[in-house]
Amino acid sequence: MLLLEYHNLLLKSILTERFNSATPASIDQVISDFDGVTFHISTPETKTKILVSISVKCFSDLVQHGALGVLEREYAGLITDVEAGYDFSLIVDLENLPAEPEEKENLIRRISLLKRNTMAAPFEKAIDEHHRLAEAQKGFTTETAPTGEGTEVMVIRYREEEAMYIQASHDRVTVIFSTVFREETDRIFGKVFLSEFVDARRRAIQNAPQVLYRNDPPLEIRNVAGVKDDGTGEIGYITFVLFPRHLTPQRREESISHIQTFRDYFHYHIKAAKAYMHSRMRRRVADFLKVLNRAKPEVEESEKKEKKTATGRSFRVQA
Amino acid sequence: MANQTPAVVMDNGTGYSKLGFAGNDSPSFVFPTAIAIKGPTGGGGGSGSGRPAVAQKPSYLTGGAGPSGHLSAKRGTEDLDYFIGDEALAQGSGPGYGVHYPIRHGQVDNWDHMERFWQNSIFKYLRVEPEDHYFLLTEPPLNPPESRENTAEIMFETFNCAGLYIAVQAVLALAASWTSSKVQDRSLTGTVIDSGDGVTHVIPVAEGYVIGSSIKSIPIAGRDITFFVQSLLRDRGEADSSLKTAERIKEEFCYVSPDIVKEFTRFDKEPERFQKYVVEQAGGRSVTVDVGYERFLAPEIFFNPEIHSSDFLTPLPNVVDTVIQSSPIDVRRGLYKNIVLSGGSTLYKDFGRRLQRDIRHLVDARIKKSEEKSGGVKSGGLEVQVITHKRQRHGPWFGGSLLGQTPEFRSYCHTKAEYDEIGPSIVRRFALLGGPGQ
Repeated sequence: MLLLEYHNLLLKSILTERFNSATPASIDQVISDFDGVTFHISTPETKTKILVSISVKCFSDLVQHGALGVLEREYAGLITDVEAGYDFSLIVDLENLPAEPEEKENLIRRISLLKRNTMAAPFEKAIDEHHRLAEAQKGFTTETAPTGEGTEVMVIRYREEEAMYIQASHDRVTVIFSTVFREETDRIFGKVFLSEFVDARRRAIQNAPQVLYRNDPPLEIRNVAGVKDDGTGEIGYITFVLFPRHLTPQRREESISHIQTFRDYFHYHIKAAKAYMHSRMRRRVADFLKVLNRAKPEVEESEKKEKKTATGRSFRVQA
Repeated sequence: MANQTPAVVMDNGTGYSKLGFAGNDSPSFVFPTAIAIKGPTGGGGGSGSGRPAVAQKPSYLTGGAGPSGHLSAKRGTEDLDYFIGDEALAQGSGPGYGVHYPIRHGQVDNWDHMERFWQNSIFKYLRVEPEDHYFLLTEPPLNPPESRENTAEIMFETFNCAGLYIAVQAVLALAASWTSSKVQDRSLTGTVIDSGDGVTHVIPVAEGYVIGSSIKSIPIAGRDITFFVQSLLRDRGEADSSLKTAERIKEEFCYVSPDIVKEFTRFDKEPERFQKYVVEQAGGRSVTVDVGYERFLAPEIFFNPEIHSSDFLTPLPNVVDTVIQSSPIDVRRGLYKNIVLSGGSTLYKDFGRRLQRDIRHLVDARIKKSEEKSGGVKSGGLEVQVITHKRQRHGPWFGGSLLGQTPEFRSYCHTKAEYDEIGPSIVRRFALLGGPGQ
C-alpha cells in the first residue's frame, strides 16, 4: 500500500452492507479518521434512515472558504439538520435508494468521501481563483503584467499545532503545510523524506509540483497571523507549488485528493520506514546471536561429570 | 466526545482480529489475523526454505545468514507490498503471495509480521493517526512479560501512540458480562470459559487477576464441532458434506439439549424437528441437505466428549469444577457464582443453562457427601450461576470498548512520555482497569 485511500473504508463497508441487505438494522457507531475528524453513523429515528455526521476541527475555517457550497453541490438532497456536537449531517433513506447498482455504488462512494469533500473547499476556491487571475492576465504581455502577489492566504488550522496555508496566483497555487514532530527520530526520518521530495523533481519526475522545505516560515505566510518563527526549527514548512498543469479541470479533483492526504501519507511512510528499520534490526540481532552461540566453548563430557558432588556442590581439582 | 478522540481497541486473536473504537457496541472490523507477503509461504515458520545453514559462513555485513527472501535484503518499497485480513487470504490463494499467521496459540510469533499487520490495521482500516489516540490491546492469560514489552516497543516507538493499555482477554470478557441483567455487582471475580475456534480455556479470575496455576484448556472447540458435523453428514452420505456446509449447519441449526436420550425420542415423535438446509453450489445448482440429530449432538461433545474423540474424555462441567476447586478457597464462592461465557463456540442456545445445571449437580453431590460424612451438619449451599449475555461472540473486544470509553481510562494508560522516561519495562505492570473503587 503506497498511497492512502481518500475515502473512509469503514463508512464504505457499513453503507455497502446496509444498502445490500434486505433487513434493516440499527447502527450506532463513532468512527474516527485522520486529523481528528470524527464520524457518527446512526439510525436515530427508524432503522431505514441512516444519519451520517461529521465533526472537523477546522470546520469554521472551512466554512469561511465555501465548504458549505461544495458540500451542497456534492450531497444535494441528502443534507439534513446538523446533529448536536457535530458540524455537518447527511441522511440516507434506505427506502428511497436508487435502483441501479451503479447508482448505489456511486452514492456509497460519495458519502465515504465526506471528509475529503469537506476539506476540499479551500482548494477548490484557490483553483477557481487561479483560473480567474490567469484569465485576467491573458491580455497582458510578460512585461506589462501587473506583478500581483496573488490572493490573500487562506489558513486552515486542521490540527492543534499544524496548519495548511493556501494561496492562489495567476500562474500557480501554493500550498504550505506546517509540521511539528514530537519525536526526535521522526524528525530525522521526516527530513530524509522531505529532501527526497525536493529532489524527486530534479531527478526523474519533471511533471511533479515543486516542493520546498525549510525551517522558518516562507515569505508567503510570514505576515499571516498566528505564524511565528521560534527559531528552534521544530516546526517545518513544506511548500507545494501546483502549476497550471495540475489545475486543469481533468486533474484538479485528483490533485486536491492527493494534497489533502499529504500529512497522513507523510506520517504513514515515516512509520513504515521505522517498521522496516526495526525488522532489519531484529534480523541483525538474530544473526549476531547465532555468531555468539557459535563461539561458546564446548564443554567436554568428562568435565561435566566432575562438576557436581552428592550434596550438589561443585569443586575442581587444580591441575 | 467530539473533542476527545475515542480510544482504539484492538483484540488480536489467533484466528481473528477485532478492531474498533471504544464506545461502539461492536467491532468495526473483524478479519483473519493473516498477512500476505510477496514470496513463498513460510510453511514451518520462516526457516527451512533457502540454503542449508551448515554451508553458510557467518557474515556480519551482508546479513545473509538466512533465507534470501527476507525483507532486510530488499531495497525499495517491497516492505509496503503486503495485504492483511480477508484481502490477504484472497491474495494468498493466487500466485506471488504467501500467507502468514503472525499469532500462534494466542501469542505473537513473528514480530515483523505483527508490526506490519498493526500498521495496515491502523492506517488502512481504522484510518487514525496513532499519535492522537490511546490504544487498548489485549493479551492472552500467561503472556510472557517480554511479549508485552515487545508490543509496547512497537506501539510507542514505531507508531508513537499517545497511550497504551494492555489488558488480559479473560478480564475483559468478565467486564463484558456486566451488560447482562443477571449481574448485579460489577466485580472482576469469576470463571471465564473462552471457546474460540482452536481451543477452549477455562480461566479463573480473582479481583481482576488471573489465577495462572489453575487455568485449564480443553482441546475441543469450534473447529472440532465442525468436523464432527461433517463426519455425521459423511456417514449419512449427504449430497454435500463440505466443511463450509458443516460450518453453516453448526451455526444455524445447533442447540444444546437437556438430555440426549429424551431428545432422540422427541425427534422421532416430532418429525418437523428434522430440517433441511439448501446449499448453493458453484454453477447455480443447489443441493438440499437433511439436518437431523447433529442439531443437538454437535454441541454435546462439550458435555460428552467420548462421542467425538477418544483422547479427551473429561466433560466441560467437570473441568470447570476442577478448575474452581484448585483455586484458592476464599475465592471459590465468587468463581462459582460468576461463570462467564465468551467466544463464538459458546453461542449455542441453552449452552449456559445446561452448563449451569451440570455444574450444580456436581457441586450438590459433593456437598451432600460432605454433609453425610460430617454427621448431620447442614451446609448453607453454594450458588452456581452461568452468565450468558448478548456480547459473548466478541466478549473481550466489547469489554475493552466498555472500559475504554470510561473517563478514567486514560489515567490508567501508560503514556508516551512515561515510556520514554522508564523504557519498555513500564508495561510489565498496569493498574487494574475497572477494578474495585470505581
